[in-house]
Amino acid sequence: MADLQDELEATAEAGALDAPPRAETAEVTRDGTKAPPAAPERLEDLENLEGQEEDLEDPDGLEDPDGLEDPDGLEDPDGLGEAHEFLAAHPVADGYSGLPWVLRHFPSYDLELGEGGVDTDVPRMRKGHIGALFWSLHLSDRLTGERAVGATLEQLDLVRTVVHAHPEGLRLVHSAGETTDARNCGRIGILLGPAGAPSLGDSLGILRALHALGLKAVTLAGASWAGEAGLSRFGEEVVREMNRLGVLADVSGASESTVRRALAVSRAPVLCTRSAAAALRPHPVNLPDDLLAVLGEAHGLCMVPLTAEQTGPSIRDVADHLDHVRAIVGPECVGLSGTYDSGAAHPQNLADASCYPRLVAELMHRGWSQDDLALLTWGNVQRVLRTADFTARAAQDRREASTAKIGDLDG
Amino acid sequence: MSKAGETGEMNMTYLEEARELLREFPVADGHNDLPWALREQVRYDLDARDIATDQSAYLHTDLARLRAGGVGAQFWSVYVPSDRPGAVPATLEQIDCVRQLIDRYPAALRAALTAADMEAARAEGRVASLMGAEGGHSIDNSLATLRALYALGVRYMTLTHNDNIAWADSATDDPAVGGLSAFGRAVVREMNREGMLVDLSHVAATTMRDGLATSVAPVIFSHSSSRAVCDHPRNIPDDVLERLPANGGVAMVTFVPKFVLQAAVDWTAAADENMRAHGFHHLDTTPEAMAIHRAFEERNPRPVATVSTVADHLDHMREVAGIDHLGIGGDYDGTAFTPDGLDDVSGYPNLIAELLDRGWSRTDLTKLTWQNAVRVLGAAEDVARDLRSRTAPSNATLEQLDG
Repeated sequence: MADLQDELEATAEAGALDAPPRAETAEVTRDGTKAPPAAPERLEDLENLEGQEEDLEDPDGLEDPDGLEDPDGLEDPDGLGEAHEFLAAHPVADGYSGLPWVLRHFPSYDLELGEGGVDTDVPRMRKGHIGALFWSLHLSDRLTGERAVGATLEQLDLVRTVVHAHPEGLRLVHSAGETTDARNCGRIGILLGPAGAPSLGDSLGILRALHALGLKAVTLAGASWAGEAGLSRFGEEVVREMNRLGVLADVSGASESTVRRALAVSRAPVLCTRSAAAALRPHPVNLPDDLLAVLGEAHGLCMVPLTAEQTGPSIRDVADHLDHVRAIVGPECVGLSGTYDSGAAHPQNLADASCYPRLVAELMHRGWSQDDLALLTWGNVQRVLRTADFTARAAQDRREASTAKIGDLDG
Repeated sequence: MSKAGETGEMNMTYLEEARELLREFPVADGHNDLPWALREQVRYDLDARDIATDQSAYLHTDLARLRAGGVGAQFWSVYVPSDRPGAVPATLEQIDCVRQLIDRYPAALRAALTAADMEAARAEGRVASLMGAEGGHSIDNSLATLRALYALGVRYMTLTHNDNIAWADSATDDPAVGGLSAFGRAVVREMNREGMLVDLSHVAATTMRDGLATSVAPVIFSHSSSRAVCDHPRNIPDDVLERLPANGGVAMVTFVPKFVLQAAVDWTAAADENMRAHGFHHLDTTPEAMAIHRAFEERNPRPVATVSTVADHLDHMREVAGIDHLGIGGDYDGTAFTPDGLDDVSGYPNLIAELLDRGWSRTDLTKLTWQNAVRVLGAAEDVARDLRSRTAPSNATLEQLDG
């Protein structure tokens, strides 16, 4: 109480007490007067939302949350105060970033100060309240066979080097606990993966070696054992070994039969690191409703990508997908996937890693409860990581490392 | 002749003394090819070659014989052949094999990544298990892959195996780049930066000299003997041994008869010539080729190396390099033949007894068996700590540096 600065701020305006803690002192006065008119407006919009969906497309205020800037510009520069406040407590665990492959071609970069050539850097991740992020190790399609294994090692080395070079911002994490620790230390937790199936070189020994290097997720597509026909016997053994190690299975981009088989075989939750609803927007990586329903029953996690191609060109399109997916799989099985730096085009106003508050604001307008939002942004990924770790510990008591060979199982 | 009985008695005493010494300062061996043997024999089916049980019918190595041999630390080789594609994936499988062995036999083996880990394992009576990669082909010309191997626990890399690679010449191939190329020197510097020991076994003498000139950390020879005693290209010339004191490195004497015994070198050359004369590759192991080989062996009995042959190498290497720069690298399960008395990993006490008989002091022997190997790994760690604080990891490529 005796702190002089506190005293100075407190005397600035009485209205300051009502202001959200992050609001700057000078703007506090206007906040007190201008906030009330803004609030009913929002309520009205929410009613509209419930009433008729078409209205959603019309009102300017909703279409572009930045539109809110004008009325509220002074109290809350981007009109996203509530979303920022929420995300500060419930950051985003983002399911997919293509950054490692992009950085591979950069002679130098500084993610700490900001890097213009990419969509993701530490300042923008902080602005977007990203608390954890999967860094994809997917390779160019041209890298197959034995070259894929070496290239994956190089990608892993690159990630280690990048994280090591940004100790103030980033930290490599491998489990739910470490992810929380990183967040408590103010670091963004970097999870390694998903890697593509070709990275495993058709060998469980290589899977174990990559896991020892930190690999946390593998996409079950692009290998002979996880093709159009679904998982082969070796493919199923890969999933069981992944369960034993605590490596998550990602089925975004996998064939329908692979998705179904993986959901049946895996004892740990299955991820879709970047899949939206095919019912709203047909796309090979999006999931039809029946598959979403199976994913929900298996308590997996569908992480909806922020790409124009998969979800549509506007924030509202993304929110539509999230509404749709949540309705089918339930609030415990839906998550977010920025898919930045993957070469994909992004919806308007979701151009880079700093844009999550806009999406959250939209979902708030649509009446998502705080609980559901907290699961969406952070809680569900934590649940999946924790369950995978638990499954691995249990499996290691029962199973030895598998010595199965693809030649023996798949002939 | 009157001394014969006496010597036998003496040897018994020396053998007991050797075992007693090894209990305190066990052998830290530089090279054992058990992982490759497991891959070739049973495709890593570790149940089929359970080293907790007697494997003397199939392998030079099992846990009981390691204990009998007084082994306290082992660099397990994660060797893969250099003459077929897919070296990097295969190396990862070899690494996985070692990790599985360590997981499987926790009471006998302990994973070791540092000199401190080696000492901790010794204190616990477990075998410190380290890994060494045998040949630069295992990194496929990529410094990032080199770092990945380090991250997986590999603590030395032999720069070549039997064939030249793009950036280094092998002892058993025709001279190409004349030692280390510019990229080869970059590999050595990156190994220094990581703390991975530079292993100069298998490389050409030119590469040895370039490696010594480039490395700022002590080097090792994980399994090589003296060329002055036995003139085989796999062995170390005296001018290189002489440079070890300045470098701080360690030459780990190997037992492979065809490298250590001149008569065996000559015999092997004649046998290879015989194979070629019959139209086979000299390493061919098909039944027809083996029949030719057996016929040759019946006409010309194979010369047999003994413990004394190996001790002769050590005596000479000690003269040239000094006691602080010697070690042991048996190459068990990596060679078909072994000297008499050093038939498998239980044989080390015989070598120590022989050296006691030759008047080596207890202090000297503890350096040979344990202390030098631990020191050299610790020194590599110190150099790495310094370099990492000052330099960034290199991503130089073969194309950039060697054009």
